[in-house]
Amino acid sequence: MPVVELSLSRLQKLVGKNTNKKQILDTLPFLGLDIESLGRNTVRVEYSPNRPDYSTDFGIALGLQGILGISKGILRLNIRKQGNYEIKVDSSTSKVRPFVTGIIARNGSLDDKAVKQIINMQEDLHFGLGRKRKKSSIGVHDLDRISFPLKYTTTSRDHRLVPLNSTKESSISEILRDSEVGRDYGSILGQSAKVPIITDAKGQTISFPPIINAALTTVTTKTKNLLVEVTGIDKQSAEDMLSVVVVILQGAGFQFSQLKVSGSKNSTPNFAPRSIVFDADPVNKILGLNISGSMLVSCLKKCRLGAVMKGKKIQCTIPRYRFDIFGGMDIVEEVALGYGIDNLKPAWPASVHIGEKNATSERLDSISRLMTGLGFMETLNSTLTSEQILYEMTNRDSSQIISVASSKSQEHTILRDLILPGLLENLSKNIHETYPQKFFESGTVFSKGSPIKETTNLACVSASEETNFSEMKSILQSLLRIGFSIKCETKTLSGHALFSQGRVAEITVNKKTVGYIGELDSKVLENFKIRTRVVGFEIKLNGLIFD
Amino acid sequence: MSHVLHDIEKQIIKLLKSTPNLTEEQLAQETKLSMDQIRRGVEWLRQKNLADVTEISHFTYALGKNGLDAKKNGLPERRLVTLVQNGPKTFDEIRSSLQGLDFNAAIAHAKKNDWINIEKTDTGSMISLKQETTKSSDEYVISLLDIEPVADVFRDEDAKPLKSLMERPDFIIQHEKKTKTVSLSETGKNIDLEKLDSGAIDVEADVPHVHAARIHPLKDTINEIRETFVHLGFSEINGNLSQSSFWNFDALFTPQDHPARELQDTFYLKDLNAKQLATPTQIKNVSNAHKKGWRYYWDIQEARKMVLRTHTTCVTIKHLADKKPDEARIFSLGRVFRNEKLSFKHLAEFNQVEGVVVGKHITLRDLMGIQKEFYRKIGLTKVKFWPTFFPYTEPSLQSMVYNEKLGKWIELFGMGIFRPEVTKPLGITKPVLAWGGGIERIAMLKFGLDDVREFYNNNLSWLRTATKCQ
Repeated sequence: MPVVELSLSRLQKLVGKNTNKKQILDTLPFLGLDIESLGRNTVRVEYSPNRPDYSTDFGIALGLQGILGISKGILRLNIRKQGNYEIKVDSSTSKVRPFVTGIIARNGSLDDKAVKQIINMQEDLHFGLGRKRKKSSIGVHDLDRISFPLKYTTTSRDHRLVPLNSTKESSISEILRDSEVGRDYGSILGQSAKVPIITDAKGQTISFPPIINAALTTVTTKTKNLLVEVTGIDKQSAEDMLSVVVVILQGAGFQFSQLKVSGSKNSTPNFAPRSIVFDADPVNKILGLNISGSMLVSCLKKCRLGAVMKGKKIQCTIPRYRFDIFGGMDIVEEVALGYGIDNLKPAWPASVHIGEKNATSERLDSISRLMTGLGFMETLNSTLTSEQILYEMTNRDSSQIISVASSKSQEHTILRDLILPGLLENLSKNIHETYPQKFFESGTVFSKGSPIKETTNLACVSASEETNFSEMKSILQSLLRIGFSIKCETKTLSGHALFSQGRVAEITVNKKTVGYIGELDSKVLENFKIRTRVVGFEIKLNGLIFD
Repeated sequence: MSHVLHDIEKQIIKLLKSTPNLTEEQLAQETKLSMDQIRRGVEWLRQKNLADVTEISHFTYALGKNGLDAKKNGLPERRLVTLVQNGPKTFDEIRSSLQGLDFNAAIAHAKKNDWINIEKTDTGSMISLKQETTKSSDEYVISLLDIEPVADVFRDEDAKPLKSLMERPDFIIQHEKKTKTVSLSETGKNIDLEKLDSGAIDVEADVPHVHAARIHPLKDTINEIRETFVHLGFSEINGNLSQSSFWNFDALFTPQDHPARELQDTFYLKDLNAKQLATPTQIKNVSNAHKKGWRYYWDIQEARKMVLRTHTTCVTIKHLADKKPDEARIFSLGRVFRNEKLSFKHLAEFNQVEGVVVGKHITLRDLMGIQKEFYRKIGLTKVKFWPTFFPYTEPSLQSMVYNEKLGKWIELFGMGIFRPEVTKPLGITKPVLAWGGGIERIAMLKFGLDDVREFYNNNLSWLRTATKCQ
């Protein structure tokens, strides 16, 4: 989950009404914000990816004000319709990045801390909602450097501009090749010969989305007026993103004017809230509460939503930036938050149920009990293991290997088809401990099927100078006889990679092969650096003691 | 300290009563016990203040390389006087027969024995015999020794020449051997011999550790959790560890471009695609839910990709989609996988449990109650709930449990109500309340571990000794 660092004194000021730090710290978790670490005046909180408005202290302050009852209900958004701010979309963009939207934000001021918060928000939006800028991405510009109307169009890769944080003009190709953002996000544009740009009335390039802005419109702490543009491949996602920016900038004291968007399936963004009308009953029922309609209204307002009673029903108004609210169940959650999770008292459901273990679990439990009774220690190994342990060290054929893609760990790259190699690895790690050592493990093994087959095996090893084939065979036969009334036999086998020639057998039950038993091959043991005699077996349990 | 004596101790005491001072070797010889047993017995008696042990060093001597040479050819000073027997000789003449260290030693010792005179002349220093020489005490000591070590061959007056010879390089080799002489202490002497034969044994003595074969500590916790779910009226279901993306992600309303579905978080099985995904209706409805909710082109090929399940929820949701129960309490427990870098708190493969309650009248408060009862049963009594976010539940809560040892609240299981976007397309009409989480985290609390990897190290000394602390 993403993390944001907050200054407590700044947050206090934003929340207002003489709130103290303790109050704030106690309340944060009830907004769903986990405190990750706490400094003298800073707190780092984890927020949910579905609430990008919590990526800044402006958004968190809004939430705190609601839940603390300082300021409740929906935040009014004033967007002036007048003004000559316009962006025209050229149809050539439809093949690369078809949508653009934006807003004009004026008469605000951004100190260092505010700039830091806004950058954090931008990064969060790019990563989550924007799917690493692919779906949508933001550009924030100094409005006073720009002449309207703007044009959203495409250009060739040899088009030149001075990119942000640079003084030198570069071509699009150079930016994509030489800059970090270019290399990270260039693939979004694919092989397309034409790339999107935003130019102003004077023909100056102000942005090369989704890669980088032009240096021309760099925002500093002196900037008072902003243009925010969002481009993307999904109109709604772009507008969602813009709506978050707007609510945050409103918190930072900006006033808004509309940016008219026209041309090629684009339109001026609509920030109007949505409404959901619902009954109190189902909400109370799912939460296990019995609260009045007016109380429900109050709960919703504490979550910065609009709410009024409409007869017996409740009408909830949802601001544009709360696109995480899909429907009724999301409203239920808002009610719960407004009511206070702390005020929800755990109850005990009246209905009677009789629980039971799965038959497989029951049988595996019996095996564990019997095996420990027979003196074997249980070990647990990963089913995702390494080629080295599973095949190389055991001299086995690896043609039926099942691997995972791009594992971050060398030890976890393939699925096991046998448990025994893992037990040998366990013996290998314990050669300095006293002998005899006796291990067993039961668990899933994998083989190719349609597309993959999973079975449950039991494997067992005994290591000491005195151990021998007979010991292992009597363990195996006792286990199956005592536990499951199964009679098994061992049949001479000409050879097996894991075991010594002449000391290996097939385990059969009713003439069907269910596994192998024998003395481990000396070369295999050498590979595992085991210096004592080892005997072992592995059997498939499916079809034997469960389906 | 107990006055019941071990059989070894009794035998030693009996012997010492008749023969007061004996070495450990003599004790072993007389009792027919091994040296090891005697050493242990003597040590026990010493600790109980029943016996005194005095340690005496014995020395043996043998001739070294130069000593053997002196025994054969005479000491250097003897060889010197032989050279000047028939008249004085210059240093240079002597040096042709006695070189290096031997020359210096010969001059020094011959002078000490008062055997020679040295005169300075124009042609250099001259050595002449002073008087007729007798066998020196050094020569006598050499004659007593040989290549085999010996002791007790010396007279008192031999001590000085012995010491002097030992200062000469590699003439004499000295070996030290310590013997312990054991005698009874005053208390030991007063022990009643008859009482010793009463047949009592030392019931307070330390004994060796034995190792029990055990169920793995993590499995022990897994079993406890499984039992607890059953006690709470839940029935166990299970399913495969390998799953199609459809059940692991799509059926749970996780969009196909969601970051959690990327290779860097999820293990995809190389080149393996599911042939049979789900029923045609299930596929159609899930596809529509994605198109409507997330507005993108839903690709069935993406849903076919096989993954190692990232949660047990895929098993739960498939069960619910296939059975559509009106009322149920079921749980699923087992291994799940995340493509994580391993660390003290992250594993690539770990265990998870998840329970769901289905019912027309079930409430969020009920689920909180069930969970509280679950924690109480496994010994965790201080529990509180916070809101959180899970992609497929709404509302979502997480439970926090207070750990006395760490003195802080720890996040344990999550819970929530399955989103209608998940249940509706699969034809599940009743509310489904789910709860669960990782098991290793609970096992770590129980066994006081701070590194989760310890569970899979299978370190035998830990497996043999691990104890529950909660």
